This record gives sequence, C-alpha cells and structure tokens, in this order.
Amino acid sequence: MIGNNCCTSPETLAMASFPKQEWCGLYDWDTALKEGTIFTCLNLPVYFADAGSSNLETKGSASDPAQQERETLMGKISAVSFAINDLTLYLDTHPDCPEGTPLFHQLSKERMDLLTEYASKYNPLTQLSMVTASLDNNKYAWAEGPMPWEGGCI
Amino acid sequence: MWAYEKRLQFPVKIKKTCPKTAQLIISQYGGPDGELSASMRYLAQRYTMPVKKVGGLLTDIGTEEINHMEIICAIVYQLTRDLTPEDAKTAGFDAYYIDHTKALWPQAAAGVPFTSLEFQSKGDPFADLFEDLAAEQKARTVYDNLLRVIEDPDVRAPLKFLRAREIVHFQRFGEALEMTKSNLGHNNFYYFNAEFDKNFYKPEEHC
Repeated sequence: MIGNNCCTSPETLAMASFPKQEWCGLYDWDTALKEGTIFTCLNLPVYFADAGSSNLETKGSASDPAQQERETLMGKISAVSFAINDLTLYLDTHPDCPEGTPLFHQLSKERMDLLTEYASKYNPLTQLSMVTASLDNNKYAWAEGPMPWEGGCI
Repeated sequence: MWAYEKRLQFPVKIKKTCPKTAQLIISQYGGPDGELSASMRYLAQRYTMPVKKVGGLLTDIGTEEINHMEIICAIVYQLTRDLTPEDAKTAGFDAYYIDHTKALWPQAAAGVPFTSLEFQSKGDPFADLFEDLAAEQKARTVYDNLLRVIEDPDVRAPLKFLRAREIVHFQRFGEALEMTKSNLGHNNFYYFNAEFDKNFYKPEEHC
C-alpha cells in the first residue's frame, strides 16, 4: 500500500484520517523561501501575517557591488537548498511521485554547482565543496568566512 | 551522522537591538514547544518506528528542526548583540542577563529551563505520531502569538517562514500516519502495539 500515491486508508472510528497531498503548483524558489513552502496548495497564512512588511533579500542589497554579488549567490544557494528541503519531505511520503524525483535530481545538481562556485569565489559552506571547487590542498579553508549567525556580513 | 553547513536555512539580518523581543523569541529555543524540543522529540522517536519510511521522515524533519533552532538562536543573538549596560537594566532582559549575560541558553519565555519533560517518546506509533501532530500545532500557535506582537520586519520574515514550516510538517506527519495505518494490515489499530508486539507485526527488513 505504501507505494500507492493517491489513496489513504478508509475512515474508521476512533482513528484520524488524513488527505494525502497531491502534487500542485510550485512557487519560484525565491518566493518559496519567503513563503516557507514550494507548494502553493500548502501555503496557509494567518490573516495578520502581512500586517507588517517582512524583509527577505535574496537579490543582495549591499551598496558595494562585490558584496552584492556575494549576497546574490548566497541568496540562490538558500532558495535552491530550501526547495530541496521541502521536496525531500514530500518525497519521504510520496516516494513514487513522477514529478518530484526528476526535480530533486535537477535541484541537487544546481545546488552542488552553486556551492562549488561559492567555495571558489569566497569560502566553502560545506566540506565537500572544498573538493568540488578544487581548493588549495595546503590551505585549511573550512575555517574561513563569517559564521552564519552574524547576519549582515555573509 | 550530521554534517554542518555554514549558512542558515533562512537568512537572519536584524539591524535593531531589542532585548524585549529576544526575551519572547527565546521560547522557541528552549520552551515547551520550541525547536530544540521538536528536534529531540522526532530524533528520539525514530529508532523504534515500525514503518521504515516514517523513521526516515522523522530523521529529515528532526534535522530541519535543528536548522530552525539555529535560526531562532541567530535571531536572539542579533537582537542582543549590541546590548548596552543601560539596556541590561531596563529593556526587559535583566533577569536573563544576570544569569547568562548575552550568551544563548535554552529556556522558555517565562524562564523555565529546557527539559525533556516537554516532549514524549512513547514507543507506540499512534501515540507518537499524534504527539508530533500536536507539537506542530502548538509551535504554530507560538509563531502566531509572536507575529501578533512583533513589528520589526527583519524579525517577522524568519518567523513567518518558521510558522509555514509547522503547517507543512503537520501535513507530512498526517501522511506518515496514513502510511503506518496501511502497513499494519489490521482494522483495529489498538489491538496491538506495532513497536512492541512482534507476534502481531513483523517489521520490514531494515538491512
């Protein structure tokens, strides 16, 4: 039964039944990160969610062009990586989904390339990207770069 | 095995110091429905789950909750990074400051320390999955409450993101419940405990 994509168990007394999510429209990856899901059908905001504005700068807003370029690349990494996070949970409960699996592979490849680019230009965000970016064997690059909780100075 | 990635799942860039807001948000670090509690709950429950794919989901959501804990800590850290001695006296962060200065320590908004009494790992798939569903709803309520009272857009952006994740996780745990039900091959879901009564339920081959 687990492989069955569209069916849930029949309702019985004293037990909850859940509808299984069907594949639905996807946000672009920047919007998905801002909204907290890639799935348009799962985005259920509370009425005051947009009462104040909320800031999410994936495009980079620094006045220095070099810093802006860096922030833009980090923004792409955040957006693509989050799409993979959300898709992973979907595939955990929909392992036979014909739309999801090819997308997962495509996004994972994009993410690997972005991490490689970031490691070669700035500092590695993962230890594996030290290898994919062919960083200098004799330099310990893992310790470089700001810590993620410092915010503004990525 | 976990591998660290040097970035936050959702960016946090707060410009304005506000210890009062930090005092509220710290609840999602060490409070009863916080992210530390969430990650420990799911990562504790996964070992004995009778359906292997549900154990996999608990691992992935438990891992994401650790990311969320880091986002919450980054918010608290950035809200108090430039705390002045005057702020420490008056800005609603005084009791915390006395014990922890500006360091991060898992506690609830009301000062109760983090404790594993805040979550359960029961060893029954239905008891545990309903605990998880409830946990996501309780955390969602906390984010609603925070969004009602916090105005700084730099703080609202990650809170909105985290709230949305609770709803997605709730849906996934619902699907995990359905996977568990359909795997048991029995209509009376209370006839045996699939995590204990091996004569009624043979777990899948895990190797």
